[in-house]
Amino acid sequence: MHKTDFDLVIVGAGPAGSTVARLASEAGLDVLIIDKRQELGAPIQCSGAVSRHALEEVGVVPSDEFIHEAIYGFGIYNQVGDAIRIDYRQLKGDEYGKGDGKKPLGYVVDRRRFDRHLMTQAMRAGAEVWLKTEGLGYTPSLNGHCTVQLRQYNQELEVRAKVLVGADGLQSQVGKWAGLRTHIRMTELASCLQVVVDNVETEGLLEIVTGHQWAPGGYAWVFPKGHGYAEIGLGVIRTMTNDNARVHLDRFMETSFFKDRFKGARILEVQGGGVPLAAPLKIQYADHMILTGDAARHVNPITGGGIHTALSGGRIAAEYLTKVIRSGASTVSANLKGYQDQWLEQLGNKMWKLYRIKSAIFRNKNIAERDEQLYDTMSAYFSPYSEYKKI
Amino acid sequence: MMRKSEPVIFHIGWNACINCGACVAVCPQEAGFISSFDTIAVNEVCDIACMKCEAICPVTTITHTVAKAADS
Repeated sequence: MHKTDFDLVIVGAGPAGSTVARLASEAGLDVLIIDKRQELGAPIQCSGAVSRHALEEVGVVPSDEFIHEAIYGFGIYNQVGDAIRIDYRQLKGDEYGKGDGKKPLGYVVDRRRFDRHLMTQAMRAGAEVWLKTEGLGYTPSLNGHCTVQLRQYNQELEVRAKVLVGADGLQSQVGKWAGLRTHIRMTELASCLQVVVDNVETEGLLEIVTGHQWAPGGYAWVFPKGHGYAEIGLGVIRTMTNDNARVHLDRFMETSFFKDRFKGARILEVQGGGVPLAAPLKIQYADHMILTGDAARHVNPITGGGIHTALSGGRIAAEYLTKVIRSGASTVSANLKGYQDQWLEQLGNKMWKLYRIKSAIFRNKNIAERDEQLYDTMSAYFSPYSEYKKI
Repeated sequence: MMRKSEPVIFHIGWNACINCGACVAVCPQEAGFISSFDTIAVNEVCDIACMKCEAICPVTTITHTVAKAADS
């Protein structure tokens, strides 16, 4: 017989879920994490860029197991290819670089290996993991826990949890079970497509191309992917264009100022995703339930980056839930609101501020002005002096 | 009275689908309106028929037909 009683049952073993699982297990909670997939991280819906700081903050040791390539800075381009380069190897050469005692600024990770690594660390900390296990629903009960209905290899079963953690991504069903309105507005979900390619040179920088002409409502990117590969992608807001992301990506690769650079590209993988350039969910908790990661829309609304925010949000969730459960308090919604308050204080308020900046840019109907604002904002965001460096 | 939009059934061209999940993310339906391949549901009638899923798809591989009375 399976164990059926847990402090936490976490749905979704991505970066957010596995971080909650690891840190809560280390703190002594009884944790089950489930994922419906047979291998984590796939299908890949993400470019995989994450700062070193984001990993260190939650105690994830950078490892060759999951790192595709180290990153040392940014290149921000406008629509005609004028660029600002923010290369930390030049800005702070004694600190950043490849040599002894020097560090990278961040990494592009392999999401399959990265997610599996985080799950492994959670298991080593004591969490139980069930793969091929899908959540079907949950029933809050009056005596301090909820029942979670699961399906595992076609078999239906139930477990009990003090708190159910919905870390089930952008397509979150857990939030919907609790009656939260989790779907995202069309105007705030970037429709993204990227290709992993051979034969396109990169130089350790995350390159970001702004401009309505290439990626209306979003931006295009060229990231190093290790082994001499690169990834080229973009996200568009569909209410701002008649063409889908694939048409835009073809156009970007064939006609932009990078067309010569991309001419010999050999496409090795095709990946897509929806990236919220949205505000965080206003309500991220219910009776015996919280949401975290993409499910709570913990995504940077300017960059679309979601790994750092998933790791940090997962840490905040683990710390809060550990405290509540250890105190013996009931886990009804009134006692879980503190999670959201903590999250807002540590991270969310900054994300709301970024959301307002982003919204103001895209409210401008003048395309030339808007292009300039987005380029300036991106350049300022990635500058070493940005107040948002830690998001 | 004419409905604003008639209930529909969605179809997905699986050959082009890249399993990105964007269609589910914009879908205002209640929990469970998903297929076994993590897209919006394909064998159920959608009475909202907002068509946001069709629009968001990065590879435009979602289409629909108007649901027949027998479908619901």
